[in-house]
Amino acid sequence: MSMLQEEVSTTLYFDRTFDCEAAKISPGEYYYTDKDMVIVTVLGSCVSACIRDTVTGIGGMNHFMLPDSAAADKDSPVSESMRYGTYAMEVLINQLLRNGARRENLEAKIFGGGNVLKSFTTINVGDRNAIFVRKFLKEERIRVTSEDLLDIYPRKVYYFPKTGRVLVKKLKNMHNDTLVKREEAYASKLKTSDVGGEIDLF
Amino acid sequence: MANPNTKFLVVDDFSTMRRIVRNLLKELGYTNVDEAEDGAIALGKLKGGGFEFVVSDWNMPNMDGLTLLQHIRADPELAKLPVLMVTAEAKKENIIAAAQAGANGYVVKPFTAATLDEKLSKIFEKLEKAGA
Repeated sequence: MSMLQEEVSTTLYFDRTFDCEAAKISPGEYYYTDKDMVIVTVLGSCVSACIRDTVTGIGGMNHFMLPDSAAADKDSPVSESMRYGTYAMEVLINQLLRNGARRENLEAKIFGGGNVLKSFTTINVGDRNAIFVRKFLKEERIRVTSEDLLDIYPRKVYYFPKTGRVLVKKLKNMHNDTLVKREEAYASKLKTSDVGGEIDLF
Repeated sequence: MANPNTKFLVVDDFSTMRRIVRNLLKELGYTNVDEAEDGAIALGKLKGGGFEFVVSDWNMPNMDGLTLLQHIRADPELAKLPVLMVTAEAKKENIIAAAQAGANGYVVKPFTAATLDEKLSKIFEKLEKAGA
């Protein structure tokens, strides 16, 4: 059985605009740090939760979408999409907690869920992702201090976990279809992989 | 399927995940389910008695799932309780540590209902054999 796991981004570079270390994350990845750096991503219909401990300044960002599970199953609390979304959120939050963050100090800023994938005609994937992330954080009682969700434009997000500062640029003119292609590839990967891990050692 | 009245304790610090596991168990026919949000609370409930199966996350504040498992195995009253680890920790060393501490099974998130069912059946089967 193939296994689709959230991966820590390994794309690091020095950002000249902000004069600091930067990590770029792609769909299905996350990154966390306690250093003074910037985490960057470009979102179409995917969502990112930027979560940090307001006391210690450790924070991180994920980037995911819900798999398009069978229609009948879609909004069931136990559907594949709900499980995958919960998992994607948990992986980031667990890393923060493991590295000293405290749950009661966490604040979240959430972005994305734009209706940018024209080929997804069934229902708006961006809406589902946005609704999921809002609902998850509410149920887990993690404060949302800022959000920029939905609409029809892709977004470039810069997140500075140390301070919690965020810059969001709406990309109103796309010069190519790289973003859409990348999200479609991610969506089809989610569809063809069994979104379930299994270990059969014992 | 084992006795549908089997009393489960689901241990996870995310209420969203506790609800998912509870609903999956319900789909499999098990409705006698209680919840705990970390290992310490779980241990208190288990010591109160009556539980027959534990499904536990690993990474939790206060007391993590591995420590909970170690406490269960060290307590003569609880030592035989079946424990299924359901966790996002997929590293080999985690799995080995859980096996060494006496976990009855290990499921890596994000898991499917079928996987959970299969693991539960396997554990119940082994328990029946051991009891027979």
